[in-house]
Amino acid sequence: MADDLVLTRLVGRPGVTTLEGYERVGGYLGLRKAVTLTPEQIIDEVKSSGLRGRGGAGFPTGTKWSFLPRDVFPRYLCVNADESEPGCFKDRYLIDELPHQLLEGVLIAAFTLRVSHAFIYIRGEYRAQRELLDRCVAEAYEAGLAGRGILGTEWDCEVIVHGGAGAYICGEETALIDSLEGLRGQPRLKPPFPAIRGLYGSPTVVNNVETLSNLPFIVLEGGAAYAQRGTAASPGTRVFCVSGHVERPGNYEVPMGTTTFRDLLQKAGGVWKGRALKAMQPGGGSMQILGPQHLDVPLDFKAVADAGSSLGAGALVVMDQTTCLVDVAKRLVDFYHHESCGKCAPCREGTYFESQLMHRLEAGIASESELATLSDICANMDGRCFCPLGDTATWFVMSAYRMFPDEFLAHCGAGRCPVRAARPAAA
Amino acid sequence: MTDVARSPELITVIVDGRPVQVPVGTLVWDACEKAGVFVPVYCAHKKLDPVAVCRMCLVEIGTLPKLQPACATVASDGMEVRTRTEKVREFREGNLEFLLLNHPLDCPVCDRGGECDLQDFALRYGPGRTRRAITTKVHFNKAVRLSDKIVLDQERCILCWRCTRYYDEVTGEKELVLQERGVHTVVAPFEGRPLQSMFQGNLPEVCPVGALTHAQYRFRARPWDLRRTPSVCPGCSYGCNLNIDTRETEVVRFASSDKPEVDDGWLCDRGRYGSGDLNRADRVRSPEVRLGGPGRSMAYSEAIEAAATALASVISEHGRERVAVLGTPLMTNEEAFVLQWLAREVIGTPHVDHQLLPWTDLSPAEFSLGIEEIEACDAILVVGEQAEATAPVLTLRLYKAERKSGRRVSRVPGDIEAGEAARRIAGASRVGVISHERDRGLAAQVAAIAVASGASVGRLTITVGVNGRGCKDLGLLPNYRPGYVATAEVGLHGRGILEGCQSGEIRALLAVGPNPAVEAGADLDRACAAVQLLIAITPVRDAFWRHAGVVLPGRTIAEKAGTVTSSEGRVQTVRIAVHPNIAVPSEVGLLAGLGACLGAARPAPTAPAAVLEEIRTAVPSYAATAGGLRAAWGKLR
Ligand SMILES: Cc1cc2nc3c(=O)[nH]c(=O)nc-3n(C[C@H](O)[C@H](O)[C@H](O)COP(=O)(O)O)c2cc1C
Ligand code: SF4
Ligand code: SF4
Ligand code: FES
Repeated sequence: MADDLVLTRLVGRPGVTTLEGYERVGGYLGLRKAVTLTPEQIIDEVKSSGLRGRGGAGFPTGTKWSFLPRDVFPRYLCVNADESEPGCFKDRYLIDELPHQLLEGVLIAAFTLRVSHAFIYIRGEYRAQRELLDRCVAEAYEAGLAGRGILGTEWDCEVIVHGGAGAYICGEETALIDSLEGLRGQPRLKPPFPAIRGLYGSPTVVNNVETLSNLPFIVLEGGAAYAQRGTAASPGTRVFCVSGHVERPGNYEVPMGTTTFRDLLQKAGGVWKGRALKAMQPGGGSMQILGPQHLDVPLDFKAVADAGSSLGAGALVVMDQTTCLVDVAKRLVDFYHHESCGKCAPCREGTYFESQLMHRLEAGIASESELATLSDICANMDGRCFCPLGDTATWFVMSAYRMFPDEFLAHCGAGRCPVRAARPAAA
Repeated sequence: MTDVARSPELITVIVDGRPVQVPVGTLVWDACEKAGVFVPVYCAHKKLDPVAVCRMCLVEIGTLPKLQPACATVASDGMEVRTRTEKVREFREGNLEFLLLNHPLDCPVCDRGGECDLQDFALRYGPGRTRRAITTKVHFNKAVRLSDKIVLDQERCILCWRCTRYYDEVTGEKELVLQERGVHTVVAPFEGRPLQSMFQGNLPEVCPVGALTHAQYRFRARPWDLRRTPSVCPGCSYGCNLNIDTRETEVVRFASSDKPEVDDGWLCDRGRYGSGDLNRADRVRSPEVRLGGPGRSMAYSEAIEAAATALASVISEHGRERVAVLGTPLMTNEEAFVLQWLAREVIGTPHVDHQLLPWTDLSPAEFSLGIEEIEACDAILVVGEQAEATAPVLTLRLYKAERKSGRRVSRVPGDIEAGEAARRIAGASRVGVISHERDRGLAAQVAAIAVASGASVGRLTITVGVNGRGCKDLGLLPNYRPGYVATAEVGLHGRGILEGCQSGEIRALLAVGPNPAVEAGADLDRACAAVQLLIAITPVRDAFWRHAGVVLPGRTIAEKAGTVTSSEGRVQTVRIAVHPNIAVPSEVGLLAGLGACLGAARPAPTAPAAVLEEIRTAVPSYAATAGGLRAAWGKLR
């Protein structure tokens, strides 16, 4: 059903990563149309599309835009391309395949919000993607699509690509802003929210790469056309990054709400090697675990929340029957321990404590009472940290413990990992 | 009706069931304090903006599912705050466990042991058991020398950000930064450079734990061995309040004490680390008479009598006007008042002063600006570098005026042309002009130009020595009696007195030391050697002591009771922090005794408190200064 696609429909067209190739397949028609509309008209289209942020929190995009105070300038747009969530690689894909589609979306948002500068903050490790974007931005300037007097109008907008220095926390919107300003990338106290006081103290909108990549379609085809995809509660499509124990890991764009986890898994060729599914983690490393019993849950914000997890940043990590959940939890906890920015005590010390315990547990040298300690620590972090990083550092491990208590218990005092020991030698 | 109009300013917050009224914009933390409910904090600090990083203050608010930081949440009308719930108790316990996880627990050898918020809260709210045996501690550097004044123990640091914010918000110097990430985060000097600030000594005080330590005090005392005496910093005339912490007869440290109108809680390093000067080894311990022979130690009464007899014979031989009296700006108001009484009423000489420079053309405008009022000026002009060099804490007030109130602060050199200086404050309607007394001439000219252009102008003049202002107010001047009543006859000023000693015009000098303002003059030693009779009252072996015919031991400021007046006219109390180890009469007593021996018609009171009563009667502007208020400036006569 290729018609259903929005974001990836142009992937693979010849030369589409160049300006010329992109324009050949209708690129920048959205922007050309946008400049003939008023900002209010565009915001209305975005609102009627029902588009919600794809960066993780799922905040309605049109509503976020309308928080900007009237007539306060300059304003800034920050494009969040920091993509560091474990299991997420959709933004990289969208940049690699359709860099001009992102750029067109950025310019549409910039026009609508009347920002003077749009900053694309891209994850430091995405060097090739940064170079690609630099090239595309140069092409856009050359063609009068960015810079001064865009498309012959009075409107000016500079587009700047800025590379991060390799910190997960810099994907959090206020840490991103601090990092962009040249400060230590650490989250800011809210309020004030970026819409009121963001980059350089000015009103600022931060949007994810995928969120913005939807805009050319929404402006050109109308919000209603976008909302036809998916369901009323979860309109549109999303790119899901499927990884782990599947036959064909990769990015899959599917309509939300009408697709289930099972459908998505099938697209990726099912669990590899003909094995059974043990668990899956939607949303990226931060989100709670789901099991085979959740396969028929639709990819809908509310349905997944009801199942006890979240669509988060649009990932799906699949784990087959041989997976040791304690091991997976240990690796994820290590990630958060490594990435904790150190600003607040519960996350800084809590992730360290968690990580030490998980290592003991995985090695089979922890006692049973340490499981209670682990639960205690997580309870003291969740909802008490300065930003969601510390809160979510507990979600996977606690949900895995709840779903597989016996597996956690079996590790205690076992002297080694019982799951690994039970694996057939050839596996 | 008017009450209703005023009431929207106040809102009601319910803290643990108790309603309290607070102004709009109050933080929950402050509302709790107002309700008498203590909330433990680490990162929050009354003088710093909230950051909410330590999480120690989390409380329950209304129906919000998550605990909220009291230190960073603005109270709203009807808000219900709960600090004593099981959820809060459990969290505090857990958070203290986190904070102690990588803490070295070396309280037994820590300077802060006994006055540490980590110790205190761990005891009050902590888990009372440890689970850290199952983790390995992360170790850090235990003695990072940040400068010759400050040593940082990175291991004890709980990363509250107070020190870095102090540098960002209070001094603006940004000398400390955070480095590394997560559990490896450390406080470190910016680019490894040693700290240069004039205000480093405040760091160990903003630090809630024993991470930032004074090099001077490190491992020297435990807090419970110290005796604390509230006093005034003797470093300059700005009037910062402080506590003198002593152990036996030794002054161990100066600790700041928040007087919002003056110091705002801060001290400069010169003042703070000047505490060592009070333990000088070269003390004068007993009275000594050396008149025409080798020095002999004597009882006080005998030495006073010998001094009076010698003085009387100079007077009868050469006349009263051949005697001069030189006080010091380190004297208390009570001492200064009695000294000028001794000079004028008993000896009968017009030659009396406390400093070298002449002090003429006095106008009440000179002292019209209070420190607290600086922040209310639209524009502030600092004339000359000497004002801030003399009273460094002034710089912090100026920075606050700029940063918090958006005031315009300009600085001009002391040799600039007045018209050009005045251009810096042009257009402002409320102007503050600040200068050292050395630059008062230029400051007066600039102020006059601003007044002529319609601005309302206040002036603050930084005087010499801790009590230079009091000495002037109380007539230790050749041209003014107490309360700036002009004298009929103008005597010699400080420099004239020293010259007179050398030329023979002055035959006898009664001097009180030490006198930093006079010691700066090169001729002091020669003048003291030349004068026929020198009577010295001094606590240390200074030039006066070297050449005196009669020496009476004086007291240091830490050994005195009385009042001193700061540059802005604030009359503040100094108390006896160290009791001299021998039975030394107070200097007021010595001077009164000398007056009695010289046949004073009316005896002077010997107790400082009684002298202060006399001052309040004699000098109207001192009438209502009790409790550390500013002397209300009366009309000059
Ligand atoms: C720890 C943390 C990491 C985040 N990382 C990213 C990221 O890499 N990319 C992203 O778009 N949003 C990230 N977010 C979410 C952003 O804060 C923000 O909500 C998002 O960029 C808003 O864009 P959207 O409204 O288009 O979703 C992160 C949030 C947190 C708390
Ligand atoms: S939860 Fe705290 S330490 Fe962790 S990343 Fe957020 S602010 Fe930094
Ligand atoms: S050194 Fe002290 S003041 Fe600075 S962050 Fe550490 S604990 Fe806080
Ligand atoms: S005191 Fe409120 S978070 Fe530190």
